[in-house]
Amino acid sequence: MSMLLRECKVEVIRIFRNPYFIFWSLLMPIVFYVIFTKVVNQGMENQAEWNAYFLMSIAAFSVMGSSIMTLGIRMVQEKSEGWTILLRVTPLPASYYFIAKMVGQSAVHIFSICIIFLSGFLINGVTMPIGEWILCGGWILLGSAPFLAMGLLVGTMKKVDTASGVSNIFYLLLAITGGLWMPMEILPKLVQTIGMWLPAFHYGNGAWSIVRGDFPEVKNVLILVMYLLLFMVISVYSRRKQEVV
Amino acid sequence: MHSVVQIENLTKEFKGRKAVENVSFSVEPGEIIAILGPNGAGKSTTMLMMLGLLKPTSGEVKLFQGDPVSRAVHERIGVMLQQVSLMDALKVKELLALFQSYYPNPLSMEKLVELTGMTSDELNKRTEKLSGGQKRRVGFALALAGDPDLLFFDEPTVGMDSTARKQFWLTVKELAAQGKTILFSTHYLQEADDIASRIILFNQGKVIADGSPLELKQSLLRQSISFKMNETTKKEILMSLQDVLDVLEDKGRFTVMTENPDHVLRKLFELDMKLEDVAIEKGRLEDAFEHLTVEQEVS
Repeated sequence: MSMLLRECKVEVIRIFRNPYFIFWSLLMPIVFYVIFTKVVNQGMENQAEWNAYFLMSIAAFSVMGSSIMTLGIRMVQEKSEGWTILLRVTPLPASYYFIAKMVGQSAVHIFSICIIFLSGFLINGVTMPIGEWILCGGWILLGSAPFLAMGLLVGTMKKVDTASGVSNIFYLLLAITGGLWMPMEILPKLVQTIGMWLPAFHYGNGAWSIVRGDFPEVKNVLILVMYLLLFMVISVYSRRKQEVV
Repeated sequence: MHSVVQIENLTKEFKGRKAVENVSFSVEPGEIIAILGPNGAGKSTTMLMMLGLLKPTSGEVKLFQGDPVSRAVHERIGVMLQQVSLMDALKVKELLALFQSYYPNPLSMEKLVELTGMTSDELNKRTEKLSGGQKRRVGFALALAGDPDLLFFDEPTVGMDSTARKQFWLTVKELAAQGKTILFSTHYLQEADDIASRIILFNQGKVIADGSPLELKQSLLRQSISFKMNETTKKEILMSLQDVLDVLEDKGRFTVMTENPDHVLRKLFELDMKLEDVAIEKGRLEDAFEHLTVEQEVS
């Protein structure tokens, strides 16, 4: 157990020391938030509501991105450089490596969520009952599970360039079609229909519901769980296939 | 005493081409084994199969009588692969501490520093900031972290300067003196000769010689004279000649093994034997060794 804990701790340290993580997962989303609440969408009739709503979008956007990209690309990198090969001849169980990667990443997400929520409060004075803050944060943290699984799937790719390209495209497509950049309602009808079946919308929608004072819909949970299982199965399968050399 | 490594009929095919063919050997505790051979001889492939990192097409590998991929075996081995890659964003000492935590009875940090000759400056550096030689040294320390009984080094001195090389082999000898079993691959004849207690010579995926450096050198010097002879000369007469090591007979053709063919030939003629179709052949190890010596001169 202490072996697993130490492995998680090391992952957290490593992510924090990575300047790209700080830039893409913290700085970028906050800059986005400022642009879309202070510059572009100024003077809306329900500005306060929009500010809170968009804060959730941007937090979800950040955590989703680091789940898919940071996790996946780092795994490909460690594999292609030969580090994971060396780990295979140590007593560290293979499952610990994956668990530590996901747990470590999630621990960092708690930090990201806090920072982004805090900047929402500081920049736009977003306020909610403490329970709602915690619920939102918890939802964004736990709801990222299918995206972490997607990161694992990206992690099975062979080249860093491929992994980085593919995950970037998926990430941005998911973010747009899921209404994380702009509300679903203003997207074309076709995109809306497709987006309804993709995980990003349901991820964001859970947090938006909480902001409105509701709870996430059952459908949101079901679709996220479905994608979690789907990505897990595919990534376990392709990993098995790769191992038999 | 039980063998530490046991390999039986190991074969690996890549797309129909045999990279390793029917290799068998076993290693006893305390041996220092050099797996010697030119590039592409199948040394690394064999080592990867021994470690369970590559699945053999056929054949079997046992380490400590067990499955090479079991945790019990992993706790007793240390490995330095050809390409040393280190986890980035960690200081050297953090990485070493992490590795120590993987093993039940790790070596202390002081001991690791002493054995590998790392400086305290290096210990506090991030792994991505190390030079190639420093990375190798850390790779060496990682291999030793668990105080293993059996060590694998795949081409360990490639990329080391001569000082680092000296230090490395000094430590290896010290480890061997403590009773550890060591297996390393190399294409440097000199290294194998200086360090190993036994050399397993690979060429084109096969083991072509296996013995102490002395035995290998002797069989390398061994040449053969072969000829046809109708007379009913007894093998014993040939055997009794000075410098003759062995005599083989195959369908009227005799092959005389010797380290001194000039002398033996003179003797044969002095005996006035009717020799036909005389040929002198160099030892079969010669080719493989020529590869090795040529390569050394290049690098």
